[in-house]
Parts: sequence; structure tokens; C-alpha cells
Amino acid sequence: MAREESLRATKRITRSASSAPTPEKKSGFKTKKTADLCSPSLTDLVYGDPISLDALLSTFPGRKAQILELIKLLGHLNSPTLPLFIYGVPSTGKTSIILQLFRHLNRPFVYSSFRTCYNPRSLFESVLNQLLLHHRDASNGYSSAKRCDRPSDFVDLLRDALTSLIKRLKGSVKKSMPPQLALPVDGHMIYLIFDHLELVREWGKSSSVLHFLFNLYDNLNIPEVGFIFLSNLAPDMFCSNMSYVEQIPVYFPSYSEDDICQIFLRNQENQKLYSSFLDVVLRPLCRITRRLDELSPTFASLYMQYCKPISGPDTVLNEDMKRRLYSKLNPHITSACNETFRVLDYAAPEAETSTKFEMKGCKRKLESSKKSDELDFHLSTSAKYLLISAFLASRNQATLDASLFDSSGGPDGRKRRRKVSQKVMAQQETAEDDLHTKGPGSFPLERLLAIFQCLSSVAEGSPDEDGGSDDWLGIGGEGAVVTTDILLQISSLSNVNFIVRGGSCPLEGSTRYKCMVSEDLALKVARSLKFPLAKYIYRR
Amino acid sequence: MEANGAAIDALNLIRSRLCNPNSIFRSLCGSPDSNYSKLKSILSTSITEACNNSVLLLGPRGSGKAAVLELVIGDLLLEYPDMITVVRLNGLLHSDETNAFKEIARQICIDRQLLFSKMASSDDNSQFMLATLQECGLKHKTLVFVLDEFDLFIQGKQRLLYALLDALQSISSQAVVIGVSCQLDVEKLLDKRVKSRFSHRFLLFLPPSKNDLLKLVEHALYLPIDSSIPQDYAVEYNAKLDAILEDRRFQEIIDSCWESYPTIRHLMKFLFHAVSSLNLDSGYLSFENFKAALPSMQRQPKTESLRDCSVLELYILVCMKRLEVKEQSSYNFSAVMKEYKSIYGSFHTPDYYGQNVCLRAFEHLLQCGLIGFTDDRGGHNQIIEFRPVKLLISLSELIYGLKSYNSCPVHAILYIQYQLSDGYFTSIFKHGSLLTIRRSP
Repeated sequence: MAREESLRATKRITRSASSAPTPEKKSGFKTKKTADLCSPSLTDLVYGDPISLDALLSTFPGRKAQILELIKLLGHLNSPTLPLFIYGVPSTGKTSIILQLFRHLNRPFVYSSFRTCYNPRSLFESVLNQLLLHHRDASNGYSSAKRCDRPSDFVDLLRDALTSLIKRLKGSVKKSMPPQLALPVDGHMIYLIFDHLELVREWGKSSSVLHFLFNLYDNLNIPEVGFIFLSNLAPDMFCSNMSYVEQIPVYFPSYSEDDICQIFLRNQENQKLYSSFLDVVLRPLCRITRRLDELSPTFASLYMQYCKPISGPDTVLNEDMKRRLYSKLNPHITSACNETFRVLDYAAPEAETSTKFEMKGCKRKLESSKKSDELDFHLSTSAKYLLISAFLASRNQATLDASLFDSSGGPDGRKRRRKVSQKVMAQQETAEDDLHTKGPGSFPLERLLAIFQCLSSVAEGSPDEDGGSDDWLGIGGEGAVVTTDILLQISSLSNVNFIVRGGSCPLEGSTRYKCMVSEDLALKVARSLKFPLAKYIYRR
Repeated sequence: MEANGAAIDALNLIRSRLCNPNSIFRSLCGSPDSNYSKLKSILSTSITEACNNSVLLLGPRGSGKAAVLELVIGDLLLEYPDMITVVRLNGLLHSDETNAFKEIARQICIDRQLLFSKMASSDDNSQFMLATLQECGLKHKTLVFVLDEFDLFIQGKQRLLYALLDALQSISSQAVVIGVSCQLDVEKLLDKRVKSRFSHRFLLFLPPSKNDLLKLVEHALYLPIDSSIPQDYAVEYNAKLDAILEDRRFQEIIDSCWESYPTIRHLMKFLFHAVSSLNLDSGYLSFENFKAALPSMQRQPKTESLRDCSVLELYILVCMKRLEVKEQSSYNFSAVMKEYKSIYGSFHTPDYYGQNVCLRAFEHLLQCGLIGFTDDRGGHNQIIEFRPVKLLISLSELIYGLKSYNSCPVHAILYIQYQLSDGYFTSIFKHGSLLTIRRSP
């Protein structure tokens, strides 16, 4: 589920999907407008207008047991609680459920996610900003309320901020205020929610930060604070010999097929049609993945395909019709099973009138989606040649270069190749196996430049090229290659990780490079240049 | 409804009691040879007789070291008001000595209502501490240093420990240093100079006996008669609780919870979970609450993750297991794909998907924690397909997970070939049930 959250102190979290992440569904809950940022108030600490328990349960089909268990564990108003650890695979609804639950309970909370807090300092400052009701905006130069680098400072500042906030909450409860001035939050407990805890494991000093977080509850010793940790990994993956996980685990299992049906049926206008669609589509796709965020774009595009034969809204949906629709959809399902990502082709408004055109476009995209000959990105011609040379350098062994390329360039050398001896063939076989196990081979820079020179002279010889790219003007003969350009191209290729630094040569210690491009991409690049790459790849 | 309100109050009371470890351990402090009394006598002698002392509290996590310490300090503050200053340091936060001195100076300033300057250097802070020690010695006040996570202070040169323990050696100071640690052999790691200045006093916090354990549970769950809760409700509640505690099944549950992790705080966590599911309609605890809370203490996370996997992910796991059985010491994703293709070739399974889809399933498995990379950090130069991986679950877990995969579609045929050393072949799994066990000749 894509969520954008800034480090700002507010709870104005913009979310692009609600609990069931289908792009067509709109979030039914209003998020506060960002206009009223001027006065930080306690309303920042809640998520929105309170909703009832029934609304909460109906928003999340299939999660009734977990929601009720969470309500039980959190307890009644102002009842202290041990830290909770909620875990489950991604896109099972942990974050959204916990936020909506707090909306239902109307209790103040502070949310910080390790996706946006990338080091301890940003985490500490985010939490403190929210507690101190501080907004980072232009007036204070987007700075935090307090600068906090070290855990020791954080514990002190946190304690102060929490005690002052709790006093404020308690104080206004005690005074008998008229209802309209009453606080928008219930109770005087504050909950700290830490999301995406598994990302902390990738930090450098992760073990100390985790240990610190898990012990924060004991360190603070304030009963009015509750801790909730959300994570994709089970708590046993967080155990080290130091940290003792004392949280109560709550598990969010992945949705069953019935639950998935229910979730996708929500907010669909034509329930019967969609349920017959799901009958057909759910089984095969659920064998591949059971995650909602991956199923939903696939379902959306397949549903568009499914609905196409239906002319009007009053088509009778009987068995015959269903069978027809299924047979039309079947080839698309098999192609969808082999794709990981599908983008819905939303037509531009001016093309809406010509739906036929859109259909054609869709169809073409669908057919060619498997073997798309076009590169999705742009590379200059010399960069393409460099990429191909790097691929060949990684793919083939250095001993083959002499036979594949000779100084005059071209594949002529191959015809003159001697019959390869048995030993060399065995070596090539092991090299092929190595390719599968160890990955692409490494090459020194000189070899790359040599292959590039050979290839570019080959290309120069071939008459039909794309007309006049400027960078070919500099490459007249073999010796006139502009070296600076090439090194710049190499550095830009390595910036996008097409070429990376591999291990260094054991004898000389000079750096070697590896090409990280897959064979498909290299063939695509070669095809765009009309270069016969396949002739140069050694195959057993 | 009144019973309901009373139930809510009772529930809140018990929950707050279970969340606060100090009140739980109070019940263990009765007998004269408990750690509480020993610690209290150490501290009170040093207060009354103006001598220095150092002691280490050792025991596994959750056994109540910090709680008992807090109880002792709390009681002594009541008995001897104004004669004790407590400075608390934590190994997680203050292991660095500049930080530690700053924190010590800050806490002393707060205690004596002085202004603390953040700009003071570490040298200034340590001088301040020594000066305070001397002053306290003259005024017959005791400075108590509590060092939590003592084992983290031992990293490095142990300058802080040396400074503190050295300060104890002078006649004019009156201080106690109490270290709290989970590492039982922490004394061996002490530096020579530090060790010589340390009085080798240890207090071991061992798990309580069975009787003590039951006393603890009673103490945690009983409602006090004279509190704000209506009396007849409380009496009724306690009677029902008695019945549950006598029950043999309840004792078995407590035993199984205790055996998995024999610390008091773990037991408190279990009781918290059980008590939170108190049925508000009836208003009293029942045996079912405890029974329902037990599975949450005995989770099987890998099996749960396996149940969440899709069929393709299970195929990948099975391929990896086959590679392991073939004794390939290290393999990566491309080797797994080769195996997957060979399974398709030999068994003609209906699930054959392209490389990108399998790669996505592979990444899901990495995210769940069912497989992991074997190279720690140096893997960022390699593409994900070539980094060596390994299975993080055992064969029995894999088999158990495959068996409990309820919604196994009809044509899901998963094959594992497991060759034991003495030649047994086991071919497993059609529709999730054991097919045959054949003995090879």
C-alpha cells in the first residue's frame, strides 16, 4: 500500500489507498485539510473523526478476530498495557487497521515509521515533534523542535515531553468543562506506534537501536504510555543475545481466498459480474501470490478485459454468458500469470471518444508485453555499444576474444577459428555453469575498451544505421575514439548499476568491473541498434 | 450493569498491577533470606555506618533485579529521607564515559537543585562528581549509583567503572555502586584494576520455587477487599479465582508457560493476556481465558509464515530443499530456477511460471524470513539472482507447513525427494498427505 508520510509533525497522512488497496476504490474517510496548520493542537494526535466499531469491522473484512483481540489488549480507557508487537506479511492491513482502530478509540497516539526515519536522529526528532505539537514549516525553517542525536538525550526529552503532555491531558479532564470546549481526545494515555520495524535490521548499528527501543518501556517507567510495534517479520527474527522481547505478539495472517473475494467485492457496482469474474480469476492468480497489493492491479486490468464483450448494463448473466466471457479471458489470464507488473492503460480524455483506438492500444500492449522489442529508456548510441561490449566482456571468457574479434573487426574471425580442443570445451562448460552460480564475470577496463573498439568498427562498416547521431562523428577510424566521452559514458553506466566494480585482479590488484545487465536487456539493446549480438555470445 | 462497571474497574486494576513489575515482586520480599532483604541490609549498613560498598545483581532477564532494587530504594527513601541521592545510569545510553559523567552531573544537579550547564566538559563533570562525593561524605549522605546493563559498561577501557570504584576507595566518600546485569559471568570481563577495587559481592536472582510461583500468581490476580471495587463483587471474584487456581489443568498451563521461559515477567505477560480477555458479561475470570492465552505464548512463527505462502513460493522452498539434499553447499536463485525447470521437465507440474514471477516470489520469501542470504553485507555488489541463499527452516518444519496448507488446490503436487543415508526413499505429498514410503533394495 503506497503511503506518503512526511516527517512533519502532523497526522495529515495522505494515503493513496484505504484498507483494500484497489486503485478504483476511494478512501471513505476524510483526511484533515492541510490548511489549518497554523494552530497545533491536540487534534493532531488523533487520526480523524471517530468511527463506530461496526464501521471499523465492516471496513476490514476478514480481520474481525484481530481487531477484537487488539481492542481487548489495549484495554479500556486509561488502562495501562504492555507493549504489543503486531506482525504479518506485507499488505495484510496492519498499519491501516491500527490507525483506524485508534480513530475508533479516539485516543491520542504518535506514529513514526522506519520507512521515513532512516537514522536514529530522524526517528527521535519525528517522535519529539509530534509530542511537542511542533510543525515544521517555513516559519521555523523546517527545523525540529529539539535537536536530538543520542539515545540518552532522547530518553530525557521524551520523558519531559510525555509528562507535560499527560499532565495537559489529565488536567483538562479533571476540570469540568462545557462539552464544546472538551478535548477532542479521550483519556490520558499516549501510544507510541513504530511501523516497519524490520527495516531497522538493515541499519548499521541496528542491534543497539532495537535493544534501546524494546527497553524504552522499562526505561521510561511511565504507566500512561503504550508501545505498539508493527513489523513484517516475526518477533523471533529480532532476538539477539541481548534483547529480550517482552512484547505481546499479535499475528495478522494472510487473507484466505474467501476474504480476498470479500475485499475485492466491496465498492464494486456490478457485484454479480465481479463475483463471476473472481470465480474465474482468483484461483490461478492466488497460486502465484496471495498479497493484495500485487493482485489488485492484475485484477483491475483483467476485469477491464473481462467486461469488454458486455455491451450494456442489462446483459443477463447466465451460464452461457459466463462461459463466453471466460473463454475470452483465458488467454489473458495465462499471460497475466507470467507478468509481475501491469500498468492500467488509462486513456487520455481526448482519446476517450475513440474507444476503439484505446482498445487497439491496449491489445498491442498486451500482446507485446511478453516480448517487447522496445527499450523503455533512452541511451545514446555509444552508450548502447558500451553496454553491449560490457555484456560480452562479462559473458564470454577472455580467451575467446581473439577468435571472436580480430583487429579488423567483424565476425570473419570466427570462420577462421580452429576446431576448439576438448579441454577448452570442458572449460567453457564449467564457465557456463559458473555463470549460473557465480554470476557475470569481471573484466578489466582495457578489455572493455578493446571490445568496444572492435564493435564500433564493425558498426561503422554496416551501412544502415539510424541517421546521423552526433556522437558517431567523433568515431572516425579505430584510433579516433574520443576517450573522454567513453570514460564519461562508463561512469554514467556505472551510476545506474549497469556496470559495477567487481573484485580486483588477484595479481595486479587493479579494479575489475562486472556487467549487471541480463541477457534479455542486452539483446533488446542490440536489437535497437540492429547489431547481431547473438553471434558473439558464446553458447555451449 | 453495576457488575459490568465493577468488572471494568477490576480489570483495570489487575492490568495496571501486571504492567508494573515492582508491585509483583513485593510478594517475594517477605522472607529474610530473599534478595530483597540482603540488598536492603547492604544498603542500610552503608547508610548508617558510613561505609562504601559495591554489589552486582545478576540473573536472567525478567527475574526482577531492577524491580527489587527499586523496591529497596523506595523503602530506604522512606526510612531515611534526605540521606540518599540516587544516580541512575544505563549501559545502553551512557556507556561512553563523557556521556556518563555528564549524566551523573546532571542528576546530581537535579537532586540538589543546582543549575546544570551543558557546556561543562567531561573533566569538569568528573571533578564535580568527586567534589560531591567528598561533600556527601562530610554530611553523612550516601550517593547510590545504579548501573543498569552493567555488561555494556565493560566494553572499552572501563574508565567510568574505574573512576567510580576508585572514588569509593577514599575514606571521605560514602557511596554505593550497584550493578545490574544479565550476563552471569560479567565479573570475568572486568579489568584488573577495576576488579581489585570491586568487592566481590553478588546477588543471584534465581527463578522462584513452585510455591513462590503460585503465591505470585495469587498476589497478581486477587482483588483487594478494601479498595474502591464493590465488596461483594470482589469476594465473589476471589472465590471463583480460588476455584481456578486449585484446578489441575490450570497448574499444567502455568507449568507449560513456565517451562518455555522461566522468568517472572514472561509469566506476567501471559497473565496479562489472559486477564485482558475477561468476559465482561459474566464479569469473572474463567479457565478458558487462560487456555486461550496459552497459544500466544507458544507461537510457531515459521509455520505461520509457511501457511501464508502461495503455491509458487512453496515450490521454490521445495526446490531449495532438493538442492540442499543434493549437497550443494551454496546455491543461489539461478540454481533454484534450474532446479525448478528440471522439476517441471520431469514431473510436468501445472505450475510453471516465468523468471520474473519466480523472482518476485523469491523476494517474498526473503521478506518473510523463510530464506536468507548467507553473505552478510558484501552482497550489494551482486545482483539478487546470484547471491548465495540458504533455507532458514528445517525439513520437518517444511513438511509440517506443507501439510497444514489447507487450501491446497487439487492439482498442487509437491515433490520432495529425501534420500537418507541408509537408502530409504521417501516420496511425499499428493494433496497434502503422505503417499508412500518405499524402501530401496
